[in-house]
Amino acid sequence: MSALPYVFWTAFLFGLIIALAWAISKYLFAVYTGKKGRLDRLFDPIDKAIYKIIRADPSREMSGKEYFIVLLVFSAFTVALCFIILLLQGLLPLNPQHFAGLSWDLALHTALSFATNTDLQHYAGETALSYLSQMMALQFLEFTSAAIGLCAAVAVFRGFSGKFKGIGNFYYDFVRSVTRVMLPLSAIAAIVLVASGLPQTLGGYVTANTIGGGMITLPVGPVASMASIEQLGTNGGGYYGANFASPYQDPSPFTNWFEFVLMLVLVTSMPFLFGSMVGNRKEGRTLLIATYVIFGINIAIAFINFTGFGPYMEARLGAFSSVLWTAAATSTMTGSLNASLSAFSPFVIISALLGMFIQAAPGGLGGGVIYLLMYVVIAVFIVGLMAGRTPEYLGAKIIPQDVKRAVIAFISHPLLILIPLALAFSTGAAAAIGSGAVPNGYTQVLYEFASAAANNGSDFLGASANTLFFNISTGIVVWFGRFISIAIMLIIADSMSKRQRTPETGLRTDNMLFVAILVGSILLLAVLTFMPFIVLGPVLSLLQGFHAI
Amino acid sequence: MDIFETIKSPLILAIVIMLLCGLAYPVVITLIAGVAFPFQANGEQFTINGSVAGSYLIAQGFNASVFFHPEPANFSASGIDPTITLADAYSQVARISNATGLSESTLTGIVNNQSQYTIFFFGPKFINVVQTNLYLIKKYNAIYSKYANLSG
Repeated sequence: MSALPYVFWTAFLFGLIIALAWAISKYLFAVYTGKKGRLDRLFDPIDKAIYKIIRADPSREMSGKEYFIVLLVFSAFTVALCFIILLLQGLLPLNPQHFAGLSWDLALHTALSFATNTDLQHYAGETALSYLSQMMALQFLEFTSAAIGLCAAVAVFRGFSGKFKGIGNFYYDFVRSVTRVMLPLSAIAAIVLVASGLPQTLGGYVTANTIGGGMITLPVGPVASMASIEQLGTNGGGYYGANFASPYQDPSPFTNWFEFVLMLVLVTSMPFLFGSMVGNRKEGRTLLIATYVIFGINIAIAFINFTGFGPYMEARLGAFSSVLWTAAATSTMTGSLNASLSAFSPFVIISALLGMFIQAAPGGLGGGVIYLLMYVVIAVFIVGLMAGRTPEYLGAKIIPQDVKRAVIAFISHPLLILIPLALAFSTGAAAAIGSGAVPNGYTQVLYEFASAAANNGSDFLGASANTLFFNISTGIVVWFGRFISIAIMLIIADSMSKRQRTPETGLRTDNMLFVAILVGSILLLAVLTFMPFIVLGPVLSLLQGFHAI
Repeated sequence: MDIFETIKSPLILAIVIMLLCGLAYPVVITLIAGVAFPFQANGEQFTINGSVAGSYLIAQGFNASVFFHPEPANFSASGIDPTITLADAYSQVARISNATGLSESTLTGIVNNQSQYTIFFFGPKFINVVQTNLYLIKKYNAIYSKYANLSG
């Protein structure tokens, strides 16, 4: 079979995604700079009502520290609300299957995981969660965590830009992210998804007397409203244990490719928005190209030794879609899969791990582009050293303090993976769930913590990781994985917003040379830091001749 | 930093957004879906003689040799994939032909008619086992009625 149609199809998909992302970035620019538009008549009264209820002044400038503290306190409250709902599920309404409340550690893990945009799921939704929990605990957190990603990105953009008073106000950014971006887009996508076959009902599960004489249960529920936000917000927490492999979450080729576009469109709009907000679209374009070059390399790795359809895939979606989707879901930190990781060759797993180690190609919604700017700070500094000039970015000097902070953000990632990984094997927690100290077992546990630290959420372990050790350890990792980089980048941005801008004299950052420098720096940092992780797992599996893990 | 704004405002905001995104949003989508797309919203159920006999989207067991069989439960990622690859469908044609007396070419033709591409207009094809078996039951009722639980 010729590969050419697949190449054309992939090019068409990404062309479509980039065009849509560009158009959406215009809208996002208006949303975050307060530009007047026709939709204000609809949204302004809602926003004003919310500001009034919460008694916040959305026009007050916040420092980087205050912005972060409010963002963190808000996230902590969302965790608390979700935790309580999951714990008390058995006593609450909209529970037609009479599911009992979750154990405290599973409830806490799930709340932390969804609040950080990770969505690792140590349970299968259709056999564990009531409709109320799926909606008011999980869909709620999918909105807030996506909106927090947007807020952090926009605040960092303002600081880097230097064209704004400061980095902005959290309440302003958050409320507008929800009411003007995530809610309307998710609603439109959800309606399209229902029309094309996803269930959306609050009636209980349906028992069917099958044609062959048996009985089956149809696990319906409010599925479409979750599938839309989980993709748009790069959350990845699915309604079902099998996520998009479930035919109720991804019933047809149309829904599959539509959901694929949803997963990538908002993250791809971020570099465009950056260009608009710093007042030089070329600066956004270089970030976009760098992102997509690395993303392209990751996709290419996933397709090495492509073997076609096999077990643990879905026939209606096909092998090509499963591999491409997995590369995209692990490069965007969405983590929703439409096949099982067990289906794949070590190359797909290497691609997935690389995506989660780099976290910025394109990375999660908001979080990815922030991470990319962290790499920019490091790259500009390294080149400045080599050229013997003061490093600059967008006319502002990059001071040693910035680089120290950026390196702390970068180093925290391997530490958040390495420490719990070592603990899992030394305490016997990994062996207890059947992951031995052999390449396969190591890969499964490495993947779990890489996914947690990168706020991705795809995993090998699934409900088998519902143990005290894995619930608590990954719960801690997702929290720090999420907020260390946001805190550091907000502080760097805050400090940059106050810096004097001079006409650019140093390295130009809006041309193809800088793309090459940035891509080279990212790959070098990633390979140097993470190569040993990969060698001990999937590479060793490959050398030992295993086909699938 | 105003302590009220940094503690109480985030808490109230969390509750407001929970009610807006966690309750109002999915309920409104459910209401719209129920009115505009009731068949899809309820999981694409089909009924036989008035009682629910399954969903077009969820695999069910067809043990008799006259039917196309879905993948064994753990072959697919979901365990409930109602579809099989075209190659799998072809491989079942001889068995079904033997059991029903329908010619292999008739059955192959039905498989081809029922098949769809995984990427709209190219790529590997698949058939939906539930839909294909329902088609066979309807079209060749005399043969299939004794195998299918048509009493409901």
